[in-house]
Amino acid sequence: MSVNAASVAPPAATARGRRQTLWSKAAWKFRRDRAGMIGFGIVLVYLVAALGVWFGWWATGWAEVHGGKWSPVSGEYWFGTNLIGQDIYQRSIYSIATAFEVGLVVAVLSTLLGAALGSLAGFFSGRFTDEVVLWLMGVLDSIPFYLLVAAIAFALEGNAYAMHIAMISTFWITTSRLVRGEVIKLKNLEFVEAAHAIGVPEYTIIFRHIVPNTLHILLVQATITFVAAIKSEVILSFLGLGVKDGMSWGLMISESTLEVLAGFFNNFLAASVLMFGLVMAFNMFSDALQDALDPRKVS
Amino acid sequence: MVPGYHRRPMPAAALWPRRPPAARACAVAALAWLLLASGCGRDTSSSGPPAEVPTAASMKIYRHGLDQGPSSLDPAQSANIYANHVAINAYDTLFSYQYLARPYQLKPNLAAGWPEISADLLEYTIHIKQGVHFVDDPAFPDGIGRELTAEDFVYSIKRHFDPATRAQGAWLWQGRIAGLEEWKAAGADHAKEAEGLVALDRYTIRIRLTQPYPQLLDTLTQGYSAIVPREAVAYYGREFAVHPVGSGPFRVVSYDTARIVMDRNPKYRQEPVDIWEEGYDPATQGEFGLERIQGRSPPFIDRLEIHFINESSARWNSFAKGDEVQYVTVPNEQLDRVLATRDPVTFRQEISDRYFGYAGLEAGFVFMAFNLSYPEFGYNPDPERERRNKALRCAIIKAFDWPARNESFYGGIGAVFPGIIVPVVPEFDPDMSRESVTRDVGGARRLLGDNGWNAENLPVLTYGTTATVLNRLMYEQFRAWLKEIGYPPEKVVLKPYATFGDISRAWKESELPWVSKGWGLDYPDAENTLQLFYGPNGSPGSNDANYKNPEYDALFRQAKVMLPSPERTAIYQRLNQMVIDDCVAVTGVTRTRVHLWHKNVIALPDREIVGGFFLKYVDVADVPNGGER
Repeated sequence: MSVNAASVAPPAATARGRRQTLWSKAAWKFRRDRAGMIGFGIVLVYLVAALGVWFGWWATGWAEVHGGKWSPVSGEYWFGTNLIGQDIYQRSIYSIATAFEVGLVVAVLSTLLGAALGSLAGFFSGRFTDEVVLWLMGVLDSIPFYLLVAAIAFALEGNAYAMHIAMISTFWITTSRLVRGEVIKLKNLEFVEAAHAIGVPEYTIIFRHIVPNTLHILLVQATITFVAAIKSEVILSFLGLGVKDGMSWGLMISESTLEVLAGFFNNFLAASVLMFGLVMAFNMFSDALQDALDPRKVS
Repeated sequence: MVPGYHRRPMPAAALWPRRPPAARACAVAALAWLLLASGCGRDTSSSGPPAEVPTAASMKIYRHGLDQGPSSLDPAQSANIYANHVAINAYDTLFSYQYLARPYQLKPNLAAGWPEISADLLEYTIHIKQGVHFVDDPAFPDGIGRELTAEDFVYSIKRHFDPATRAQGAWLWQGRIAGLEEWKAAGADHAKEAEGLVALDRYTIRIRLTQPYPQLLDTLTQGYSAIVPREAVAYYGREFAVHPVGSGPFRVVSYDTARIVMDRNPKYRQEPVDIWEEGYDPATQGEFGLERIQGRSPPFIDRLEIHFINESSARWNSFAKGDEVQYVTVPNEQLDRVLATRDPVTFRQEISDRYFGYAGLEAGFVFMAFNLSYPEFGYNPDPERERRNKALRCAIIKAFDWPARNESFYGGIGAVFPGIIVPVVPEFDPDMSRESVTRDVGGARRLLGDNGWNAENLPVLTYGTTATVLNRLMYEQFRAWLKEIGYPPEKVVLKPYATFGDISRAWKESELPWVSKGWGLDYPDAENTLQLFYGPNGSPGSNDANYKNPEYDALFRQAKVMLPSPERTAIYQRLNQMVIDDCVAVTGVTRTRVHLWHKNVIALPDREIVGGFFLKYVDVADVPNGGER
């Protein structure tokens, strides 16, 4: 997200002379990014919808089959019903929770994994650990993404978390590469040399002193992974390799393949529009966050 | 097809799409062009009358559409209708079904007439037609197809018992034809005779049974019984699975995963059709122009193409486009566009104007069954628990909403019926009580409550199915119905399988407490569905429910050796009632298939029994530059 540097320059210091940190500067800059704030607001709306599903406040009847086959939009069924009379509105709202669940689990775990392996590879760059991690990343990168994800999901079929595992096992790679590069840069700085000098153990240096300094990368990368996970979940569910129990936009779009030829588009439209809204909003949010946390622009 | 195509028999290997080197291909093309240019395109080797030489423009081509293709063209592997579509058209079978008669009626095909049957019903003597030849093929000396003899039939059936063949059809005759198992145990040496299956002379077969087998002739209509030449099996080895050498109405020209192309067999015997003997009914079939084939000898088309199009929308589009496939089974999602009314089935005017069509019940049914080997639902060492299990099964059956299932997944035009005797067989009783297919949520709840079942103690029901969106919706619908009778949704667990082969294996290995499947009749006799619940057929046999009822088994054994009669029908119906009373299965629905075909196609398509036996009678009218052959 490009913005005019002069117009968004943070105030040099407050009246009381409080010291500005990278985070406070980033927060200030983020708040000035209108598109980012709109995206963030939309994401919050989706999050509330997901929380409502998790707490059982709404969309509890997503599996009921009381409506007729392909009922049109009505006061009772806001988005109509599907082939077996299920309420498409409730199913599409329920799918928000599925998207958040998948997005959060995959984003958090793949970011943690990427951070751990990337920092180890970066800190021990040129050594055996680095070679192993780079080899692993190279191997996984050489396999087409959806082929690999489908293969893992297929191999673990029956496991409710097969899709999560499949995505985590590939999504950590980009994070890991970024973190490795950052750690290689950081490990030569004075504070790390000082830690070495006073005898701090290597793993303490890595995880206590270096990794916290890559948080801005991890945060941005997590948001990107979140969006990628949602999109992948939809594709995998569409292919029958995704959500096992529950509902997702991918399954709804998959259902719509039985319906569009009969001229019934409600499932397809509901799932597509809601997914587009969330992915678009998260992309806007992610872009703004990236701009806000970019040290070259913030400092 | 290149312009100037001619029907000169070529070595099949030259016709086979093996992608010869470019130079060789060019040489073949140049040679073919030279031959054509010099007017050498006359069929000279055919034993029948000289065939006309159709050009590409005048060829009569019929393009058939199917939802799947065969995985093998070897008759020993023709386990489904897709393989049968090829097997019975590339090869000959002793018997067949009358083209137009419904219910299906047997007729001799390669057999010269009906068999002579001994008084004890154990010995069949069958004479076969003389002068029938296999197609020309490099497998034969000088590439000329030899005459088909009784020995070929004996060899073809024995192949099913030869471990080297890895055939799938042995179950049809296992324990029925005397001596075949012993022949197999002795090493499956084709030079040795099997006691119950011998060629008495060049044109006479004798089959000796271990017990009466009223469906024997039906089994001899199937692709499994198609007659193959021993030389071709030896010549092609494993390649025989993609290189048919038969004596049927067509010969295979090319085959891949998208389509099979079969040309008219110029040697096919001349047998004029009498549509009245084939069961022609002007009242229901008069509009299809079938009189045009009266007195003519099939096949009437020069080329048969069967296109395998898995995706229903693509299949429909190919049909509706006009110049691709000429037949389609209407997918459910198109029914609203095709049908004006559903009961009775009538077509919209714009459809009737463009296509011929009819709707008919499938020869089979869809049902679900409990696997009674699971103590949670079926047989249990504790008699009290077993009694409660039966109540649980009956409650689940009462929860099932057949009309809704029919509306959602079978276009609302399926025939829901009680029991396991399907509507297309003569033993079906339309007056049976429909209680077992009538939803009764209150009754189901009462049944559960009266027998001590509640949300806490109900067992987990693992619902296995292939991972398709349609099957998933069926599961969700079922789970929702069970919820209405108090079955917690979290106790109805989906177990997806990647392929039908996977779940089929799971059923065979008794890995699932719930079996949800369709069954297509092998022959039009209720015995074929009643055997699905015959105790000795338990897993890995066809009795996936593992139903074991001594009374049922005894009655089944009694009936299966009886010829059709009111007494046998009465026994069949008692067996049917036992399955209903014991709450073994949620059953069933027979789907109605809606067939459409182009108006220039003269045919009555059918894919129910055997599959594709009608294809040799198909004719195509209004051929550019051509007329009736």
